[in-house]
Amino acid sequence: MHLLRNKDSRWIIIWITAIIIAGLWDLANLNRPALIKVVAGFRNTLIIALLVVAFTLLFGWLLTLLFNYLGMRSNRTCYYIATFFLNLIRSIPQIVGILFAYVGVTLLIQNDIVTSRIVLFLIMSFCMSLFIVPEVADLMRERIEHFKRLDFYSAMRVCGIPERRIINFDILWKNSRLHILNKLIAVLGYAVFLQCSVDFIISVGLSTDVNETSLPATLGGLLATIDSKQDILAVGYTLTHPDYIGHLFFEHLQGMTVAFLIVFSLFCIYNIANGYAERHRL
Amino acid sequence: MNGQPTRVTIASGDRIIAATDDFSFVRNEITFLFGESGIGKSMLCKAVYGLLDPTELDITVGSMSYRHYLDINEIEGISRLGFFVFQEPSSHLNPLMRISAQLREGTIDGTEDEREIFERLWENRDTRKVEEILDVYPKPYRPSGGEKQRILLAMAFKKIRRLAVHPRDVSALFIFDEPTGSLDNRYRDRFLAFLFEEYMLRQFTALVITHDYSIISEIYSKNNGLLDRIHFRELRHKGEGRVELVDFHADDYLTWLRSTSGKKNVTMAGEPVLRLSSRFTIFGRGHRICRDEEHAQETDLLIRAGEMVYVKAPSGTGKTTLAKIVMGLYKAETFSMTLVGSSISQATPRLFFEREVWGRRAGMVFQHADEALDLEATVTETFAGLPHGRTFSHAELIRFLGEIFEGNLDETFLSRQIKFLSGGQKQRLNLLRTIIMHPPLIILDEPLNGLDFDSARKIIAMLDQMRKQGSALLLISHNEEIFDALVEKECVYYLT
Repeated sequence: MHLLRNKDSRWIIIWITAIIIAGLWDLANLNRPALIKVVAGFRNTLIIALLVVAFTLLFGWLLTLLFNYLGMRSNRTCYYIATFFLNLIRSIPQIVGILFAYVGVTLLIQNDIVTSRIVLFLIMSFCMSLFIVPEVADLMRERIEHFKRLDFYSAMRVCGIPERRIINFDILWKNSRLHILNKLIAVLGYAVFLQCSVDFIISVGLSTDVNETSLPATLGGLLATIDSKQDILAVGYTLTHPDYIGHLFFEHLQGMTVAFLIVFSLFCIYNIANGYAERHRL
Repeated sequence: MNGQPTRVTIASGDRIIAATDDFSFVRNEITFLFGESGIGKSMLCKAVYGLLDPTELDITVGSMSYRHYLDINEIEGISRLGFFVFQEPSSHLNPLMRISAQLREGTIDGTEDEREIFERLWENRDTRKVEEILDVYPKPYRPSGGEKQRILLAMAFKKIRRLAVHPRDVSALFIFDEPTGSLDNRYRDRFLAFLFEEYMLRQFTALVITHDYSIISEIYSKNNGLLDRIHFRELRHKGEGRVELVDFHADDYLTWLRSTSGKKNVTMAGEPVLRLSSRFTIFGRGHRICRDEEHAQETDLLIRAGEMVYVKAPSGTGKTTLAKIVMGLYKAETFSMTLVGSSISQATPRLFFEREVWGRRAGMVFQHADEALDLEATVTETFAGLPHGRTFSHAELIRFLGEIFEGNLDETFLSRQIKFLSGGQKQRLNLLRTIIMHPPLIILDEPLNGLDFDSARKIIAMLDQMRKQGSALLLISHNEEIFDALVEKECVYYLT
């Protein structure tokens, strides 16, 4: 009951419960090959999204330290160059950037440079995190700037406390980890959304030259398969033929489950992030 | 508020923020309320005045729930006839309204007595400046903190003057929360004189929350005819958010002050630690350091080992800026100094300060402990990362902290987060973090900020001990009475 009192915990429980219920329903009603595909798609989507979160945190932190170091130097040329490249990444719409990065990924696959599935997951996550990392880096830099404007930073520096300890321990860990975690929850949402969108686009139209089995199955890719598309069309059909609604939960389960997992997961992540921010008054 | 014990409890969930069995003050008299910052003085006063939000906190006043308390007639009278001057003037003033409009709003409308009030709170020559200020929308930097504070006081005095002389409006309550925090002594004294004068006419109930113990001397020297109508009280910790309101014996302070003044030590003239040239420029403005208040004898600021030097200047002149220049936090356009044998000027790179000065040759204690400390860190973590690779065992820390922390210090205290300490405890930690390194020069910016009398005494004793051990201390404070008593005249400098 204590967990249910907080909006974020409540939505985590709702998310997990809904996924379990959908899984049990599919186990009972969805044919085995489709079930395996859905489970693999969800698993792969989640693994890649979590890897994106981890890479984004790591790169965001490294970028923050780099900018802090360059910003302190009297010669600011390197700082301006780094800022230019970060702004360049920022200026590219995330979805377009990731699509182009995937072109590189498919080339690596086609040329048999990458054959391991784990390496492929890492590369896909890396590419995606490149275009999300400014969000986390900006947050960390803003937090550092905020504390530098206060006496907080100067008071510690004049005591001889090293810069790295103030930045990493006092500012980022002690005073910003809640903000950073909240941002990472949002990044998980971005990652799921971007991955599903890009995989859907690739699977629908851009991958005619690429064997679709060469990329790991994800929810976005599954949604683009002909079975799922028919299932989604069936939802539209139900709008004009309400009697058909019962069929959706037995005969169109693959598309329905995939669509549900994408939309409901995003909705839950959104509520978790909001609830977390409200609970900690961020 | 009528002298009968009033139990007040303010809690948030399971945590008691402030609770006392007796928060009562004598009606139609003036009470000065002391106590270290963060103990709950303002919070309790706001609760009694009906200013807290009953939906956010669990509050009881007497035996009443706060919602019930807010409905009783007396509260309506307290706020309709009285006034609450907030501690932070910026949060009181509306940035979207001209100051003149705010000064003539609601129950304090009308301009008939404004000029006279301004003349009392400002000096006559400043009143034209006041009229310029009236036309502006308040901004963080304009008017200055002291001006904003006086504008709030002017509002309160307008309200006081609305009170009937006969018969008296007995339910009116005027609360002044740190009314002199941003004022120089001369403006503080003007405020006190004006307050007492109005009180003689109308005899309202006033509660003045303050940390400024030197108010006591001012009252004893100039208004001792009123002493039977004035009360000094202090809020003290009882633990776990519980506090008690006790009488503060003014004689304790006055006796201590006299004894401190009599004990001025002959300076143990050691090696020069800091010599700062008499002129420096920063932000396009030139400053001078002088020996005398009239700024006729320009001189270098010299501090030797074992000396305590006091720099005085009106608020806003640049005392803290001077300290930050010495510490290399601000880059002056022109300046030069010698610090422990090294010549430093505006051309000295920041790296030099990082490697050679901070925590090694000099340390600085900042004014506001709430900003200077990492509130999320624990007491132990506050002493981690200091230079010389020094780490402190828990036993060492407990012994060191025990010198100026009362009660039983144990592991629980060391693992407590700073944000859960009282304002006075934070300020003491703020000082100890610098003192523990024993640098040759220690700069102290308002070291008695937010401290109660007992803590202030302990801090001063500790500073004196540091001085005797050979540290050079540079003091910056507007608490002139205490530091004038403590520092020899030849070690007082004036900044202009």
